[in-house]
Amino acid sequence: MVRRDAAVAALTLAFGAAALYQSSEFPFGTIRNPGQGFFPWWTSVVLNLLALVLLVQALTSRSSIAQEAPGRIAKVAALLVVLGTYTFLLDPLGYPLCTFLLVLFMLRVTDPQRWWVALGMAAITAVGSYVVFAIWLSVPLPRGSLLD
Amino acid sequence: MEVFYNLATGFAVALTPINLLYCFLGSFIGTAIGVLPGLGPPATIALLLPVTYGIPATSAVILLAGIFYGAMYGGSTTSILLNIPGEAASVVTCLDGYQMARQGRAGAALAISAFGSFIAGTLSIVGLMLLAPPLAAFALKFGPPENFALLVLGLMMVGYLAGASMTKGLMMACLGLLLGTVGLDPIMGTQRFTYGVFKLSDGFEFILVAMGLFGIGEVLVNVEQSIKAEVFQTKIRGLLPNREEWRTAAAPITRGSLLGFFIGVLPGGGAIISSFVSYALEKKLSKHPERFGKGAVEGVAAPEAANNGAATGSFIPLLTLGIPGNASIAMIFAALLIHGVRPGPLLLAEKPEIFWGLVASMYVGNLMLLILNLPLIGLWVKLLRLPYPLLAPLILVSVLIGAYSVNNSVFDVGITVAFGLFGYLIRKFNFEPAPLVLAMILGPQLEASLRRSLIYSRGDLGVFFERPIAATLMALALLMLLSPVFRWLVSRKLPEIVGPVSGPGVAGDKSDVASK
Repeated sequence: MVRRDAAVAALTLAFGAAALYQSSEFPFGTIRNPGQGFFPWWTSVVLNLLALVLLVQALTSRSSIAQEAPGRIAKVAALLVVLGTYTFLLDPLGYPLCTFLLVLFMLRVTDPQRWWVALGMAAITAVGSYVVFAIWLSVPLPRGSLLD
Repeated sequence: MEVFYNLATGFAVALTPINLLYCFLGSFIGTAIGVLPGLGPPATIALLLPVTYGIPATSAVILLAGIFYGAMYGGSTTSILLNIPGEAASVVTCLDGYQMARQGRAGAALAISAFGSFIAGTLSIVGLMLLAPPLAAFALKFGPPENFALLVLGLMMVGYLAGASMTKGLMMACLGLLLGTVGLDPIMGTQRFTYGVFKLSDGFEFILVAMGLFGIGEVLVNVEQSIKAEVFQTKIRGLLPNREEWRTAAAPITRGSLLGFFIGVLPGGGAIISSFVSYALEKKLSKHPERFGKGAVEGVAAPEAANNGAATGSFIPLLTLGIPGNASIAMIFAALLIHGVRPGPLLLAEKPEIFWGLVASMYVGNLMLLILNLPLIGLWVKLLRLPYPLLAPLILVSVLIGAYSVNNSVFDVGITVAFGLFGYLIRKFNFEPAPLVLAMILGPQLEASLRRSLIYSRGDLGVFFERPIAATLMALALLMLLSPVFRWLVSRKLPEIVGPVSGPGVAGDKSDVASK
């Protein structure tokens, strides 16, 4: 945890520096009449100070580095990639097909279920939610080229 | 007498068939998500926010509030039957609730927790009813410097109480403030940090950020942890506690209600910290502290009363000062803003039907919850058998549809997924998302009040320290900032008293997580 906190602090410092730079692009104004950049600039300064405090806390802490269980990070990463792809394919492929594939992925790869359960759930979720939201509630979910 | 008149008006609003339906739906959904580990109230409220667009503001707030306090009832069921808290606020109930279940007293534990919740809920509504009007009247005297000081204190408290590290809490708050600056400048109305992206000209949609952080973020965390639950295999019989159990539970329920209510009023102090503190208090007061952790009725009664008291108490800063104290309340804040209602001191005067309608609906809701949670306990136990792997895709799909439906835009889905990733990462590094969403929602107000104060005082920073109310609030904020030493002492003491908490899969409203 100690090494991780130091890394997060360093990352935040980099972000804070960028925020500081970007804020300075806007008119700072004066203390009598603060401009657009005033508040984000000072917030960035405070964020940088806090990141420094975290860095010092992380480097001076005597607690041992927590060992993390291998976990299932690969599954989370894969799900994130699929979610990203889902976003990109939502318009061209349409909501029903994208959602079917997303749910199928989750039920076969993320937490593997039997094929018939996965296929059944994916079909019911995709079609059911499309009927409820797109047809009954008139949310214009993308239909995709298949349904057009 | 005016209180009774107002309350009667409130009941006239709450008892209309449509509001009764929303109250029931809120209580029902709240209990369900309270029972299910892996989906917390902020995520659920965020999910249902788009649904509330088409209904009146009063009905929306009645529905969303029902989910919030309903979850407090439902959360105890999993703690008692599974040793897995359905909500973080019910973590401490595992200690004695599960032991009672193992001793064949599951029914009594569930009943004590439901009755305790009901009594606390009802008592704290009385508190809300009596305390809110004078506080709102007092807050009407606030000018920009007082507002600024109040918001600073609120954010400081949220940073202090959310999560294990104040530094991390405040870092999240700063990040939220920066996110809040994207879009229109609150004074000049010009654009900032939009980088030519038209969709950002109004800033980040709060709902998308909340749905990503809480909805997708929680699913990702749970996918990694792989929640597996086995229901305690026993027939729940003897739902009513015996006379001895009633006698033992009476005082802890009363103390838990009061403690919970007052902790709930503090921004950042919510249901979770109040349940821990009340458990610690009961253990300290008990003549037989050794019984705690082995099925002591007080260990179920007090924290369950406290988390309900706190849930109701946390409506006070929202409805009187316009400060949401935890993530769920922030969602309700957002729902009101969407309906063009600004929560704050003027709410009581301008929209009394919302305030009193909500208060009255809470009485009704608590009664509904008592019925939902006791005779229908079998239904919730069945719900517990629904495996999380089947539930996760449903949650995810609901979030994605919700995100899309805000503006019918795929871009919004992308933003939500991005914040989902961010929510997952920050949890991995032990940051809490609650201060970020609260700061994001309060940021524009904070900036406007700071800049107005400085313009008004011609740049004199003394304006925050010379006016008595502002000075007191600033002093409290400063005290809070310097309090890590005190916090360190408390965090060393609490685990000693409460002891280790077992049970994986603590999910839900971690918005107001206390040091555990």
